[in-house]
Amino acid sequence: MLFDRHSLVVVVGSGGVGKTTLAAALGVQAADSGLDTLVMTFDPSFRLKDALGVGDAVQDREVRVSLDAPGVLAASLLDARETFDRLVRRYAPDEAAARRILDNRFYQHLAGNLAGILEYMAVERLFEVAAEDRYDLIVLDTPPTRQALDFLQAPDRIVGFLDSGALGLALRPWFDAQGRLKATARLGGLGHRVEVFLDRVIGLDLLREMAEFFQAFAPLYEGFRERATNVQALLGAPETTFVLVAGPGEERIPETLFFARRLGEAGHHLGSLIVNMVHPRGTAPVTDMDEETAAGVRVFAWLGERDAQGLAALDTLLAPSQPLIDLPLLPDEPTDIPALRALGHIVGAKLAGSFREADRHEGRDLRARAR
Amino acid sequence: MRLSPERGAKGSIISTNRSLCDWLQSPGSPAIVDGEKLPMTILERLAGRQVLVITGKGGVGKSAITAALGSLLAAQGRRVLLVEIDPRENLHQMLGIPPSGGELVQVQPRLALQNLRARQVIEETVHEHLRVAILSRRVVASPVFQHFVGGAPGLKEMAVLWHALRVLGGRDGRRGSFDTVLLDAPATGHALSLLMAPLLVSDVIQGGPFGRMARDLSVLVRDAGRTGVIVVTRAEEMPAREAIELGAGLEARIGLRPVLLVVNGVYPPFPVHAPPASDVSHLVMRLWQRRREVNEREIVRLEREWPGPRIELPLVPVARGPALLKMLARDLEHWLRSNG
Repeated sequence: MLFDRHSLVVVVGSGGVGKTTLAAALGVQAADSGLDTLVMTFDPSFRLKDALGVGDAVQDREVRVSLDAPGVLAASLLDARETFDRLVRRYAPDEAAARRILDNRFYQHLAGNLAGILEYMAVERLFEVAAEDRYDLIVLDTPPTRQALDFLQAPDRIVGFLDSGALGLALRPWFDAQGRLKATARLGGLGHRVEVFLDRVIGLDLLREMAEFFQAFAPLYEGFRERATNVQALLGAPETTFVLVAGPGEERIPETLFFARRLGEAGHHLGSLIVNMVHPRGTAPVTDMDEETAAGVRVFAWLGERDAQGLAALDTLLAPSQPLIDLPLLPDEPTDIPALRALGHIVGAKLAGSFREADRHEGRDLRARAR
Repeated sequence: MRLSPERGAKGSIISTNRSLCDWLQSPGSPAIVDGEKLPMTILERLAGRQVLVITGKGGVGKSAITAALGSLLAAQGRRVLLVEIDPRENLHQMLGIPPSGGELVQVQPRLALQNLRARQVIEETVHEHLRVAILSRRVVASPVFQHFVGGAPGLKEMAVLWHALRVLGGRDGRRGSFDTVLLDAPATGHALSLLMAPLLVSDVIQGGPFGRMARDLSVLVRDAGRTGVIVVTRAEEMPAREAIELGAGLEARIGLRPVLLVVNGVYPPFPVHAPPASDVSHLVMRLWQRRREVNEREIVRLEREWPGPRIELPLVPVARGPALLKMLARDLEHWLRSNG
């Protein structure tokens, strides 16, 4: 079972495939099986927010979900408006150091607009919660980004950005006493041309702001780097597994396989692929029906076929030892606890079956290899 | 100009709303010339723009709508370039051709496709200005530059818009290679950052080629006569909510109101007299009924909260490809021509 072997389940997938609902359902299922569980969400619908009890009033603290289960279920919502500022304030050695960063012009643009900031905040939050070690299981929903793996790359990107500046700038101030770019001064005539270029293209003023920012950030740098490294380790650990949620239909397959492959390449464990919102198959043929009914039945028959074909194609493309399950499109989206519970049971049962199947295949593979 | 809801040929609800009048009379609308209101259809208004950004939540059908709209505008005589800003290509499927691989592909006489790599455009700008190849290679390869470009807010997005402006020409009175560029934007939040990028960059970089680029693009982006945003959504809670937020965000932060909302993939109307349970699967009927109810509820919400033109397109049992493109283009044309 997904929960037996893991303490962190990361739910990934592109937007609009029901990731957050599934993460919540998995949380309920885990609590039902006796585990103290935390579900971390980013983009739940209004109704789901209500059901879990998270929302603006609570900000990003964990709340206990009112659920009658052997295990505790808690939920949190990462406030999208939470800014880098909070992190800076938290980790700066003192108020003056924090101000030096927060007032920096380059920083002010960076904080609001740096690609990956939301993902990075998620990473920071995960680190904090995991370190507190208060839950048997954490189910982490990931931000609805275009590329599901933006989340995994966030720590690298931020650290890399700090790296390039910090190494070069924090350790060796770029500008000398005359306000000239020191590094280029050493290059003589060639250096002067680079300096002129940089001034014309980027502006020495901006470069100075950047240098100042990196110097101001220096005391915090090590901490960020260390935390990012720890989270990377956590994401790659054997106790962590990933669940990739995908939409049905053959057109989604390249994207799905791309994600699955990238996860594998990054050394992550893909616990299961879940194809969600699958239309039902096998509608009755269209005879003796009024046009209105016939039109609808035709559409649904087509959707059912399309989704079934997509699933079959995906199945052939995946290794038999890779668990894959599918979930039906429900007439009503699960937005209250009883519905989440029902969905959780279905997912749990299907996952269990899929894992047994996968284990059998893996056993067969291992035995075959051993011969 | 119709203001009341009516049923279209396939039973879809095609309607406009009262605030369409207000929208038409807004200063940015190109239908106003010398204080006179010209009888322009929405199609003509779209065709008159230089840049159209098509945006929406993942999975709503942006690529399909982009391709259909592009082919429609090409049929109207505009030279159209479809630009995709996603390393994983999708647009080519609708056109029935192999992926572009970053190259500009002429699909039809007036319709071309390109999958844009932003980094390339930036590096080309650097090369243009640092004549010494060795030097420009060093600058481009340097970690600070790489990260500045990769991380610095706005530069990559601006590069995309710059490419659009370049192909549109119009500088020094030269005629560009295209009349209209359609940008298939990656996802809802990104459309806002795409259009805000020049404004951000021009705040931080004043001089040099990037400063000039930022200024030219800021002018383009803020000009409602030249730039238009089309939001694609589904009649479902999350996409609809995001669409409304995006519309408000665009207006608040750039002063640009989206020109069109496309509500895609609406389930067919549920029959008033449902057939006996034995005839059709009970599950299908229940699914259909509930999904249609959600659609109708969200359409009511959008009608209330979306100022401006709105079109609803039915779910069609056709796979992504040229056949679907034809159907969508036909539906769009029919509606866009008959509404102004």
